[in-house]
Amino acid sequence: MYIIGENIHIISEKVKEALAARDREFFIDLAVKQVEAGAKAVDINLGPRKKDFAEVWPWIIETVETVVDVPLSIDTTNIDGMEAALKTIKKAQPILNSTSADPDRLEKVPALAKKYGAKVIALTMRPEGIPIEADARVTIAVEQLIPRMMELDFGMENLIIDPLVLTVSGCQQYCPHLIETVRTLQYAWDPAPQISVGLSNVSNAVPNENRPLINRVYLAMLMGVGLQMMIANPFDKDQNDVIRWIETKDTSNSLASVYNKIADRIATGEEPQSEDFNMSDPEQSAIWKTTQILLNKVIYADSYLLN
Amino acid sequence: MPIEIPKDKWPGSIKIVTIGATSAEGGTRTKSISVGGQASMPYLHYEAPMPNKPVIAIEIKSRKPDDWSPLLVEAWGETMAEPAQWAKKADEAGADIIVVALTLADSPEDAVRVVKSVLSATGLPLIVWGPGQVEKDNELLVPVSEATNGEKIVLGICEDKNYRTIVATAMANGHLVQARTPMDVNLSKQLNILISDMGMPKERILMDPTTGALGYGIEYGYSVMERLRLAALQGDAMTQLPMIVTPGYETWKTKESKIGEGVPEGWGDWKARAINWETLTAIALVESGADIVVLRHPESVKRVKGAIEELVTV
Repeated sequence: MYIIGENIHIISEKVKEALAARDREFFIDLAVKQVEAGAKAVDINLGPRKKDFAEVWPWIIETVETVVDVPLSIDTTNIDGMEAALKTIKKAQPILNSTSADPDRLEKVPALAKKYGAKVIALTMRPEGIPIEADARVTIAVEQLIPRMMELDFGMENLIIDPLVLTVSGCQQYCPHLIETVRTLQYAWDPAPQISVGLSNVSNAVPNENRPLINRVYLAMLMGVGLQMMIANPFDKDQNDVIRWIETKDTSNSLASVYNKIADRIATGEEPQSEDFNMSDPEQSAIWKTTQILLNKVIYADSYLLN
Repeated sequence: MPIEIPKDKWPGSIKIVTIGATSAEGGTRTKSISVGGQASMPYLHYEAPMPNKPVIAIEIKSRKPDDWSPLLVEAWGETMAEPAQWAKKADEAGADIIVVALTLADSPEDAVRVVKSVLSATGLPLIVWGPGQVEKDNELLVPVSEATNGEKIVLGICEDKNYRTIVATAMANGHLVQARTPMDVNLSKQLNILISDMGMPKERILMDPTTGALGYGIEYGYSVMERLRLAALQGDAMTQLPMIVTPGYETWKTKESKIGEGVPEGWGDWKARAINWETLTAIALVESGADIVVLRHPESVKRVKGAIEELVTV
């Protein structure tokens, strides 16, 4: 699993404060720790920075690159900010995060990526919104995102499609469709585009105590359909266990078996079955309930584990 | 050519909830009312018989409301000043259940006196609503609950911000609760889980998914009802509760019902329009699976009753 570390994100109060204070040590530490924890790239989201992009982006890139050699993911809607960052990068091939199928962005962002030799993450989203159906999202990739790369004569290895994870709390019907989108996208083109998702979006607006479980179970399902890249928290040890168990087909303990079983079921187009779980084990019972809300079989509620 | 109608067989069904207790059951009602028990989507009699038909509750207030439509004042007349008389007239108008809505002006003593007077005036089961303000609801509903122990009254309205006190007193005194959430399946299920988690049996919870009047969001209301019912039939225990909705309250606040003057002539006769608004909203909700509709005008009651009879006749 290629994890793009998500932790340098302006939504975090600590990041916000550190940025305001231009605290180099904070960002150096957070970047190094993510890479040490297994992140293969580091995402940087500091917001739109409409006023100070020309100063902030070079500063943060220079800061982070003094300690890590991995690709940096420039996560902003501000195209001028993207370019300011790209001009500063000296180490690995960066990632532009992101474009959508919005004509204006699709015009500018991939062109910028090509100019600076960056990869580009492209969202299966049109200006009018995100389609629910898997087919409609694949269609956006095949009819708009991929053709734009070809138009620019920009190799498919530089395209990363993000089919957009939405939260189970409020957008529950999207959750199974995203799984099918990831499955189908790998066959949508030859060579296949890379696929990445923002995993923790699946548990947005979910009470904090349930978020890691929902993220892990969804991850097992997505690994079942072949997911190999995601923007996620590399410090989540339980998540990293699930990745290792599924990647190495490790079934040496009961939880490892259960997560592998979920991935196997989804891989073959089946649904997890209650007999796959030892319901007398509260942890396995909770995982089973989580599969049911993520597959939209049972209506989500914040206290779904009590159901 | 013979056509075979496809039939669904669902793993789940709706709980049967019984409101009101007769003397044999520890109360004073002349009869109790049961709702729920469905094992199919509404009125698909060929899939599963409907054990209990939808019922109509008429809403009365603990004191004469000063903001109700003149059309309602005309219909209920003098009785509105005296809840016992009003309840009696509602009973005669065909109510299956009486809703007594308490007001902010009531003291706990007033509330108990009013509810007891209504219990004496009619043998119908009761639903009692607080005025809808957290502290006042608890201040009024707790003594009412204690003073009517064993009557199997529905106490409401429980919402996510205020349900514990109402549920606790209902549990302690053998009553039921009405659980309201704002047109959202996730929140509806969540409140049911929280109430059950306190130990309240599911057979004593009515869910109120909230609705809008015709032209004012009824589509959102019935989609939520449909999704809740589908989930229930698919086996989701926390949605297997009968549904109560309040088309009377919703429609009598619309402009079309409230205003008789200064509206386009094409809107037609005010009274006919207002009653149509309530009737059509209520029937649409009954068809969407509502088990209890709470109405305000006696003529609407008559019409909705007629529609229900047609729907339940196989």
